[in-house]
Amino acid sequence: MLTLTLKEPVERVPLETEMLCPDIVAGLDMGAIRALPVHLGKRQCRVDDFFAVEGEASDELELRGDLRKVRWIGRGMSRGRITVAGNAGMHLGAYMKGGTIEVAGSASDWVGGEMSGGLIRIAGNAGGQIGAAYRGSRRGMSDGTIIVGGSAGLEIGMRMKRGLIVIGGPARDFAGLEMKGGTIILRGGAELRTGAWMSRGTIISLAPIPLLPSFLYSSVYVPSFLRVVAQHLRRLGTSVPDDPAEGTYTRYLGDTAVIGKGEILVWSPA
Amino acid sequence: MGGKVTCTLGEVKNRADFIIYWGGNPAECHPRHFTKYTITQKGKFIPQGRKGRTMITIDIRETPSARAADIALIIKPGKDFELGTTLRALMKGQPVDEARVEEIGLSLDTIKDLVDRMKRAKFGVIFFGMGLSMTRGKHMNSAGILNIAAEMNAFTKFVCMPMRGHGNVTGADVVLRWTTGFPFGVNLSRGYPRFNPGEFSTVDMLVRGDNDATLVLGADPGATMPQPAIDHLTKTPTIVLDPRVTHTSHLARVHFTTAVTGVSAPGTVYRMDEIPFTLRPGLKSPYPTDEEIVNLLIAAVASKPGWRPAPPAQLAGI
Amino acid sequence: MVRITGGTVYDPANGVDGLVQNIYIGPDGRIAYIGPDGRSVADAQGSGVRTIDATGMLVFPGGVDVHTHVAGGALNFARGLVPENQRIARKFLHSPELRAGIGGLTPTTFATGYLYAGMGWTTVNEAAVPILSAKHTHEELHDIPIVDKSTLLLMANNELMLDLLEAGEFEQAKSLVGWLLWSSKTFGIKAVNPGGVAAWKWGKNANQLHQPIEGYTSITAAQIITGLARIVDELGLPHPMHLHQNNLGVPGNVASTIETMNMLQGHRAHLAHLQFHAYGGHDWGTMKSEAPAVAAEFLTHKNLTCDVGAVLFGDAVTITADGPWQHLLYELTGRKWGNLDVENETGCGIVPYVYSDHKIVNAVQWAVGLELLLLIDDPWRVYLTTDHPNGGGFWRYPEIIRLLMDVEFRKGEVRKLPPEAQNRITLGEIDRQYTYADVAIVTSAGPARALGLTQKGHLGVGADGDITIYSATPDAEGVMFSYPRYVLKGGQVVVEEGQVRAISEGREFIVHPAFDPGIEEFIRPSFQKVYTMSFENYPTEMTRLRHPHVVPCSR
Repeated sequence: MLTLTLKEPVERVPLETEMLCPDIVAGLDMGAIRALPVHLGKRQCRVDDFFAVEGEASDELELRGDLRKVRWIGRGMSRGRITVAGNAGMHLGAYMKGGTIEVAGSASDWVGGEMSGGLIRIAGNAGGQIGAAYRGSRRGMSDGTIIVGGSAGLEIGMRMKRGLIVIGGPARDFAGLEMKGGTIILRGGAELRTGAWMSRGTIISLAPIPLLPSFLYSSVYVPSFLRVVAQHLRRLGTSVPDDPAEGTYTRYLGDTAVIGKGEILVWSPA
Repeated sequence: MGGKVTCTLGEVKNRADFIIYWGGNPAECHPRHFTKYTITQKGKFIPQGRKGRTMITIDIRETPSARAADIALIIKPGKDFELGTTLRALMKGQPVDEARVEEIGLSLDTIKDLVDRMKRAKFGVIFFGMGLSMTRGKHMNSAGILNIAAEMNAFTKFVCMPMRGHGNVTGADVVLRWTTGFPFGVNLSRGYPRFNPGEFSTVDMLVRGDNDATLVLGADPGATMPQPAIDHLTKTPTIVLDPRVTHTSHLARVHFTTAVTGVSAPGTVYRMDEIPFTLRPGLKSPYPTDEEIVNLLIAAVASKPGWRPAPPAQLAGI
Repeated sequence: MVRITGGTVYDPANGVDGLVQNIYIGPDGRIAYIGPDGRSVADAQGSGVRTIDATGMLVFPGGVDVHTHVAGGALNFARGLVPENQRIARKFLHSPELRAGIGGLTPTTFATGYLYAGMGWTTVNEAAVPILSAKHTHEELHDIPIVDKSTLLLMANNELMLDLLEAGEFEQAKSLVGWLLWSSKTFGIKAVNPGGVAAWKWGKNANQLHQPIEGYTSITAAQIITGLARIVDELGLPHPMHLHQNNLGVPGNVASTIETMNMLQGHRAHLAHLQFHAYGGHDWGTMKSEAPAVAAEFLTHKNLTCDVGAVLFGDAVTITADGPWQHLLYELTGRKWGNLDVENETGCGIVPYVYSDHKIVNAVQWAVGLELLLLIDDPWRVYLTTDHPNGGGFWRYPEIIRLLMDVEFRKGEVRKLPPEAQNRITLGEIDRQYTYADVAIVTSAGPARALGLTQKGHLGVGADGDITIYSATPDAEGVMFSYPRYVLKGGQVVVEEGQVRAISEGREFIVHPAFDPGIEEFIRPSFQKVYTMSFENYPTEMTRLRHPHVVPCSR
């Protein structure tokens, strides 16, 4: 286990630390790890200019401190584990292929941007563009799981192709924007324009949400696939109601603006 | 994802028989638009001028532009995205939920009529303004219009154009694109251009306080930005280049008074349809031009001792 | 002053085919001596001469790209459309010598110069300039370092000109074209989908060569083609009319291409990206190569030159003035679509695209470009391009060179194609291999000659010192042509062992044709009626061009 403790808060110019990635760190000795480049704006610095580095080289990293302005942690990782005992900055786990990231505090925008595998768990809140496509890209996350305990921002799951996003608290506008597949579970509901222009995929909201005119009522039921989803979620430490005695889902189909075959399931208690 | 289907203003003048102004008030904000480029002009293929064109406004209130329209559609605030999405569905013959459509403030029949008129046009154009791009939804409201214009080409000739802001904002966009590859919000701190709106765009950076100095040229953030941004500009070194002493100048460490571009300083300006014009200043000014000051700043920085780090061992693709 | 000693020189324009020669470049940046010796020239020059020992290396004239899209409104529009391409493209880091930039399919201006020079190409011809935004094109060319440039002015859908041609006013049309060339400070005439781009202003196209154009009463695509070719010849421009034919990309367009070639008899013309115009079949399901028929027909028309516009598997961005074709591509692929119609003149369409080696249509396209290069065995009339970035990035030209020079490798690549595609092409049966001389012709000497740039594309005395020096190691990876050892531009070493060493500023070649100055009295009122700016704002000032150089017309 390698432990990096932020020596002083990063309060102004953000720190970019794409080198803090198990794939890179696991193969190095401690001297090389301390010398890895990190960038504070235009200045290239060393890891140990900002972090006290302890433990031994490993594919398990623990980061301590308020890293809300530390960006690109875990970029492109394919194995191992990163634990952040604090907040984390933008682009956490972007392009991730495997492994696990756990954040005890909150995260910022672009968590898991264009990821293709692995698990990211945020105990607190997260920002916008979770699992999303970077601007102009045809697709967002293509697999993997992102679980956020608290609230989330705009455009979560934008253009995602496959994978699972679970948000505990309320999400803001455009959850599931231009979705191509995969599943988004909004345990705390969302604000406006959920599922806008989606072509495929499933959005499940456990609270009532306003819908666009281009989503049409389909039916009220408890889909059988939900049992599978619920089982999967229980293993991940969260859940969706799948017992008809508790409540039912109203199913809407859309977005007809793009002749989409997506669905939004809105739960209401029995 | 649609795209951007547009034209230069002369195409509108010569051909457009169907013009929508959405979220903008050109009568007051682009005062020569109607008379020089769009509605009242006699075009090569619209010799009857105004009588050969139908003009529609879509806005949340009646404006002088709406009073000039053949049809003025008033919608509820914050419903532009919903209207755009409904138009995209209806133009494809797809169903929509009538009750939710009516929350827009228009009846389904009115919107269906609008789609029919759009399809019957020989050449339709949507001009969209900051009423769309600056309200909730922002770039997605604009994306809605862009998609409508692209998709309408399955039925007839259709284009759209953003009504750009004042100054040479289009020129800045054009020049940034050819030198850096991106239109705005460009970060050069890693030695090459990077683009990510929300991360590197101005208001977001200033609100979060992500930078430790600011140079302001041709803008007045001290007048328009949220308080955290203004506080940040006050707390960190801020330099202003402007012909006038602005709100931002009062927060700044240094203010340079510079000559007014176009009046006493030369240059090139790009019209909203990206056509370049040479500025021919008519007056002389006792003040230096923005360009002269910027060149002096570049020379002063270059003369400082080098700090350049070794090239990174690995260029992370971020 | 530089001397290059002991290199094996390929200078086909002067009949030098793999001879060891010494080259001396004078203080004016031009070649002062080329030959086996030159000791007296060296002594006269004295010290301060840099010597490049090119023993064992190959010496070529610098590459000349006769058709590429690197600057101006359309390309800049494309840059904005594809930020995802910029994110993954090659990056150029800012340094005390180099500006920051982004490579890829729509490179930024500084990077464009570094990329071309890094590959050993020293002259580029920007193939599409609208008059209305010519100032923008020149501003971008101003920011492309090192390489020399020429430009082609879009004309075949210029409505002032079409009105005159339709009215039978040939002399006035000719003066108008001459005036427009000089006022826009450009070099040659580009014709794109004649009549089709004008028709696209109404959402239509011009697929029939002898039907009146939409919006006009009588003028046809054929009349525009022959009219404009005659105008270019009578103006005596150094480069012939440069034609992007009607029916680009359409299965079965071979008939249209052959008919177009025939109607150009008696005139010079350059056919652009001929690969896109050499298809048989009648729909996407039956589309096949008709390169043999096109090549055979082409060889009989000695008045014509062409560039192939080959495609390579991988990402591309299609950027063309052929607006209607781009709308079709958008509808076929669902990719993003950019379109910008330019009042009274032209337009552009942009669609990002990917050529896939398991799609039959793309496999056929890949083969057609190579078939044309191999079957047109008059290398002085066929040139290597990818219609960058339509067929692929220009820095991939070395991949095409490898396919041309190594028949075993080429046949192996053909065998990897889907079997159904292999049935629709003849590439697998062609045994011809390009020699170094052939390569020097199709990448340098030939295009220079077609452009009428007499000091380019060769290494004779008086030629510009634009020289590319390669390692002679034949290698399995074909990287030889990707990484020149040295590149000289105007006698200055600009690239050395993969590093850009010096940043020079290239020249812009332009023409000043003879035209009746009275034409301005015709243009002014017509212009004010249909355009949206003052007539005074239309021309481009000479001060916008960096190092303009007027190339004489022959009339």
